[in-house]
Amino acid sequence: MSGLKIIIVMILSSIFSLTNTAHAEQNYGKGADMKHLAEISAILASPTKFMDTDVTVKGAIVKVCKKRGCWMELASDKKFQTLRIKVRDGDMVFPMTSLGKTAYATGKLQALPLDLAQSKKYLAYTAQEQQEEFDVNSVTEAITVYQISPTGVTIND
Amino acid sequence: MAKNINWFRLNRNLHRDIGYFCVGLTLIFAISGIALNHVNDWDPNYQVTQTEHAISNIAKKINQDNFEPWLLKELSLSGTVKARFWQTPTTYKLFTKNNQTLIINVAKNTVVLQQISPRFLLKNFNFLHLNDARSAWTYYSDFYAALLIYLALSALFMVKGKKGIKSSRGLLVVAGFLIPAAFVFIYAY
Repeated sequence: MSGLKIIIVMILSSIFSLTNTAHAEQNYGKGADMKHLAEISAILASPTKFMDTDVTVKGAIVKVCKKRGCWMELASDKKFQTLRIKVRDGDMVFPMTSLGKTAYATGKLQALPLDLAQSKKYLAYTAQEQQEEFDVNSVTEAITVYQISPTGVTIND
Repeated sequence: MAKNINWFRLNRNLHRDIGYFCVGLTLIFAISGIALNHVNDWDPNYQVTQTEHAISNIAKKINQDNFEPWLLKELSLSGTVKARFWQTPTTYKLFTKNNQTLIINVAKNTVVLQQISPRFLLKNFNFLHLNDARSAWTYYSDFYAALLIYLALSALFMVKGKKGIKSSRGLLVVAGFLIPAAFVFIYAY
């Protein structure tokens, strides 16, 4: 192999193997606005209070959309509670390697009321996507899914 | 005296050289296209390996101060825990700095270890194909698309005579339009 060929192969290899370059902080969209920070538990306790204003939440990333990185779930300050951060496909792409990192997300809270059948379908789908065991009969009440549609997200290591 | 341009030869030469230029991105988009086409069957960006370990009396051990380093040692894992989360009363998750998730089931005394690794090359191919790069890449890929249109149209005039577009081989061009049209007719309506 000539010198030129070796150089081309090395350049292409280095470009395409640049995966997961470590960054201390990653911003998506405008980045999070730290001024409007609210606890996830407070939001989920009284969601109507937070409906019409921009709010920023903070939490460890505990689930990420495997297909398109279009949503992630942040752990609440309370046990067993999470809040979903959802974007339109491709607007922001949350990497699976961000699991466990701390995220700040700023945006408007949305409420998606589901009936019982939709609740079962929604919970079954999310469990299947995460390869988790799920008993559809354990869902006995309709749920309302709360999520934030973010304008900015900051992920810290 | 102006030299006559040989359009046939010019077209062939341009088709050849633009074709050479398009080889790289065509392969990237084609490989990524196959990978993304089957997104319901596999994860085109990450390889997630999963192993299950039985740990006795984990419900008691989980409350001990040194539980996390003890568990990492028990599973022969290096690194440290960066986040922890009680998902349900029986499921506790630990996230390590090495892209590992430990799903601890205190009812079953099991730990499922998930290791997430980005797929070599393919993740970057998908990044380009889905235009996650945005900015200048949008315009570069538009330019590439224009080149592909040129390659398709110029291909119609590459060969003259018995094997040209006006021969029975022109039916192949018609088939190229009819097959996608048939899929639209069958599946979209």
